[in-house]
Amino acid sequence: MKEIKDKMIAQIKAVFPEAVNKDYDGNRLDLTVNKEAVPSVLLYLKDSMGFRHLSHIAYVDWIEQGEFELVYILWSPLDKVKLYVHTRINRENPVIENIDMIWRQANTYEREIREMLGIEFTGLVAPDEFILEDWDDIPPFRKDFDTLEYVNRTFWHRPGREDAQDVRSTISERSGEEIPDFAKKYSR
Amino acid sequence: MREKATTIYLGPQHPGITGNMMVRLKVIGDTIVSAQTEVGYLHRAFEKLQERRNWLQGFTLMCRFCVPESDPMENVYARSVEAIDGREVPERGKYIRVMVLELARIATQLMWYAGQNGSLGLYTMGQWSIGDRDYILDLFEELTGGRVYHMYQWPGGVRRDLPEGFTDKVLRTLDYLEKRLKDYDDLMFANSIFQKRTQGVGIVPKENIIEHGVVGPVLRGAGIRSDIRIDEPYEVYDKLDFEIPTQEGSDIWARALVRRAEVHQSIRIIRQVIDQMPSGEYFNKFPNPLKWIVPAGDAYVRVESGRGEVGFYAVSDGTIHPRRMHLRGAAYVHAITLLESILPGQNIADVSAIMNSLGTCAPEIER
Amino acid sequence: MSFFDLQGTLKPLTALKQFGKKPHTLKDIPWKKREASDRYRGLHFNDLDECIGCGNCSTICQNAAIDMIHLEGIEGKKGDSGLRPRVDNGRCCWCALCVEVCPTGSLSLTKDYIYVTEDPDAFLWTPGVDNPDGAERKSFVSDKDHSLNDFNRIPMPELEGKERVKSFAEVVLGYNEQQAREEASRCISCGICTEVCPDHMHIPEYINAIASGNDKDAVKIIYDNNPLPEMCGKVCTRRCEDVCAIATRGDSVAIRWLKRYATETAATADLTHEIVNPEIKEANGKTVGIIGAGPSGLTAAYYLALRGYDVTIYEASAKAGGATMYGIPKYRLPIESLDKQIGYIQSIGVKINFNTKVGKDISFKEIYDKYDTVFMGVGFPDAWPLGVDGDDAKGSMQAFRYLYMINAGDKVDIGDKVVVVGGGNVAIDAARVSRRFGAEVTILYRRRVADMPADWEEIEGAEDEGVHIIPQGIPTKIHKDDKGHVTGIEYLKAKMVADDKGGRPRPVAIEGSETILEATAVMAAIGQMGDYSFLPKEFEDKIKIERGRFVVNEKQQTGDPKVFAGGDAVNRTADAISAIADGFRACKAIDEYLSK
Repeated sequence: MKEIKDKMIAQIKAVFPEAVNKDYDGNRLDLTVNKEAVPSVLLYLKDSMGFRHLSHIAYVDWIEQGEFELVYILWSPLDKVKLYVHTRINRENPVIENIDMIWRQANTYEREIREMLGIEFTGLVAPDEFILEDWDDIPPFRKDFDTLEYVNRTFWHRPGREDAQDVRSTISERSGEEIPDFAKKYSR
Repeated sequence: MREKATTIYLGPQHPGITGNMMVRLKVIGDTIVSAQTEVGYLHRAFEKLQERRNWLQGFTLMCRFCVPESDPMENVYARSVEAIDGREVPERGKYIRVMVLELARIATQLMWYAGQNGSLGLYTMGQWSIGDRDYILDLFEELTGGRVYHMYQWPGGVRRDLPEGFTDKVLRTLDYLEKRLKDYDDLMFANSIFQKRTQGVGIVPKENIIEHGVVGPVLRGAGIRSDIRIDEPYEVYDKLDFEIPTQEGSDIWARALVRRAEVHQSIRIIRQVIDQMPSGEYFNKFPNPLKWIVPAGDAYVRVESGRGEVGFYAVSDGTIHPRRMHLRGAAYVHAITLLESILPGQNIADVSAIMNSLGTCAPEIER
Repeated sequence: MSFFDLQGTLKPLTALKQFGKKPHTLKDIPWKKREASDRYRGLHFNDLDECIGCGNCSTICQNAAIDMIHLEGIEGKKGDSGLRPRVDNGRCCWCALCVEVCPTGSLSLTKDYIYVTEDPDAFLWTPGVDNPDGAERKSFVSDKDHSLNDFNRIPMPELEGKERVKSFAEVVLGYNEQQAREEASRCISCGICTEVCPDHMHIPEYINAIASGNDKDAVKIIYDNNPLPEMCGKVCTRRCEDVCAIATRGDSVAIRWLKRYATETAATADLTHEIVNPEIKEANGKTVGIIGAGPSGLTAAYYLALRGYDVTIYEASAKAGGATMYGIPKYRLPIESLDKQIGYIQSIGVKINFNTKVGKDISFKEIYDKYDTVFMGVGFPDAWPLGVDGDDAKGSMQAFRYLYMINAGDKVDIGDKVVVVGGGNVAIDAARVSRRFGAEVTILYRRRVADMPADWEEIEGAEDEGVHIIPQGIPTKIHKDDKGHVTGIEYLKAKMVADDKGGRPRPVAIEGSETILEATAVMAAIGQMGDYSFLPKEFEDKIKIERGRFVVNEKQQTGDPKVFAGGDAVNRTADAISAIADGFRACKAIDEYLSK
């Protein structure tokens, strides 16, 4: 397996020298590429290296770094290698090339990502709405979208549970303990 | 004179649709000219909710991704966390997991027997197979404490050991099911109505298989021997002897035969599992769930569910909360782009049968 | 295939053979209710007596279905928050994680799964109250094997018993980082422990900080109300651990060792200053005089100095720390550790006048007149003599005095056979110190070993080091030779007699069971007492002393509103953490008093 992976890395690096690879145990192989290179890298992997199957397109919001991450996970049925192609997109201007002409099912993923993260896929042809309907808030899968705040704003709580107590404050009130504010983030 | 196309809406509430979703059909007469899948009726944002939950709490949501087939989801969750955390599962735990997964596969296919026949108006089959599925749910209830939502496989192993005498009950149930499968064959596969309604219907063109990311019984129904259990063996599948059935027709009939054969293979696997079941620990305990920190990292793991590949991508940023949990189910691929591409030219009456045969599961699409 | 397929038509008709067969899924219904399986996850049941209201079920519930509420007839007490879980069955998903994390095992799920009502509010009910009969149908239970709580403490590395007696090196070695993180992550953050801590330290918060790898925050939280935490981390009586929720079925979280770990990461006084980074208020021009640099005096001084007061301590001995300096052997609390903590307290502006005995070097009146308020943390400097015949022999001494002298660096002649009388920590300390000077040591105690008030860890430690314990022995006489040196101690064996009034069993001497134990030194460790000779007569009316202790109100204030008191000379628990609590309370009261 190690040999196969080493050969693959060499082949990829020959064509895409700027791709950064990271090795893991077993059949996992990771590549990080620029977002501009994504379509050409994926097409090359599919047509010339046997990565025929697009298993997944995962998306992560790294709000602290100001970036979105897309992970294209490919599978090579012949070599039995699982390849993760990572790419980062600036949160300020989230645009990336559409790839649904390489794998048709990417269309669905891209519709979802467009809706949930607000990433624009250039050249994507698909109906405007996917899962959400008449959504006018920020894309809900962004980390700065607070589900609890949304729920409290949108729904009402069934009355009858207002008498619930917090264990920690019940005890501290009874004993006269004063928990300083800077410590409270460590209370449960 | 050229006939004018009419738009009709199949769903979101429709007995032939698996879960709440809609297919918008443009038809001329009763022939479909274009189709578009509309989802959005079942979005529960489980993946978003994970952000507020810790690594253990998240596990209770997993089984809810797809109601009839909850165990593969639990399995990928557990294995993805194990992969990031570097947590080993004891051998017995792995065997128990395989047993659960294969029982789940049988239960899923029995459910499919009902759905596939129901979509064609053959209701007796459904009553039988749902009734027989209940025997498997009985086993699940005894093993896990729940009938439909098991919440049984979690990171590090399984939640409880096998109860006393459980394997004997499993074997008795399998013997019974094997007998019943003969009855099913008579009622369903030998039935000329079933044959006529499925052969040559809902063909997935073989040249489109890669472009559409086809997986599972649909892929094997198109003659490709692909199964994650042998491609990327997880748990203890590499120690078990079983076959990957394939068919050539790529139509509903071919996929039905694949599923039928898979039930037999699952029975064979469970018997081997019971035979080889090692003694010892079944769970490698994780720390106090409220303070359990999983080191930073990511992992994508896959499992072969009854409907095809289920993948799960988990990311940890080194805190007590997952950074991201992302599920990929077979239906996400099959029921949208693939379905939309094969429906044109088909008959309205066949849509439900085709959807069933592709393994559509609406709650899995929206998550 | 022809249009009419004979086989395809006939074979399905074999289904007709099922006709007349009994239905198998619905055999006895509705006459017999279906019994759920033995681990079925049905409706909740809670054993209200076993439950301690820790709220872990409510915390783990990812549906927010569990509330902690007050119930009539259940009062909060030490080790019990007084709250009990109520379940919103409309939200419950029957995952049973609440059962898996229940530390006491009181919560379980039952085989009951049918609950039908037209009233939606009726789904909100309290397990154990609304279904008392659920106890008979428990199915999914939390036993120790399956619980997700970690009931086993990370063992504390220690020196071997044989190594220990060779020197005064610290016996307990302390957790390393990984051990501390693992131990800290056992805590469930309920906070039940904080109530029994006399000082109400913020235990769940600092443990959580340690668990998440933020030791500096932990130190900061610890210093919020305890300026001598490393001392407490080593020698605290830690009543908190007695009520730990995890201790209901396992080892309590090592709260004391975790505090020790955190404070030791701040290795020097300067580093402590840097981490705690205290906010010191501008001087307000008001002054406080403190008598005694023990834990209570130092605590009051530290927090008063932070609030801008000019604080001066008068200490009779050469070093600060009081009983923690002179009463505790160095193998438990090394002098460097205490120096570091006191150095830090001095670094924020607390002045300490050493070797200044009030009543001798400076009069109480002078202090009283000089400062705006006075705090007395004078402790119990004297010890009770044994009070038996021959008590005046050379080599008969009080264990407390012995420890003081050893800790002050003096030499004490104890010979090679020491008998310590008593069963408290002082007795054990004196015994273990004597072992380190090479003596054979016997502890003579009136009651059974199980009745000893000393920490069990200390008793075990003493036994490991070769200390011999004779329980149920009542000393009657000290034998001496013609030069007046101790040669032995005579005692009567005792039997335990149940107390009619319901107290603990009393030892009663057995007639004629006199035994003589050879000894070169006899140490009495049967209690300490105060010395209030420094207090002039004119204050007697206001500053009252009853049963050997100052009388104070709940603000540590004596009859003289200007004079406050704390520590052993006030409270009955007589341990360092109670003294610290007194000092902290007094600080707040003095602040209030002087701000008027």
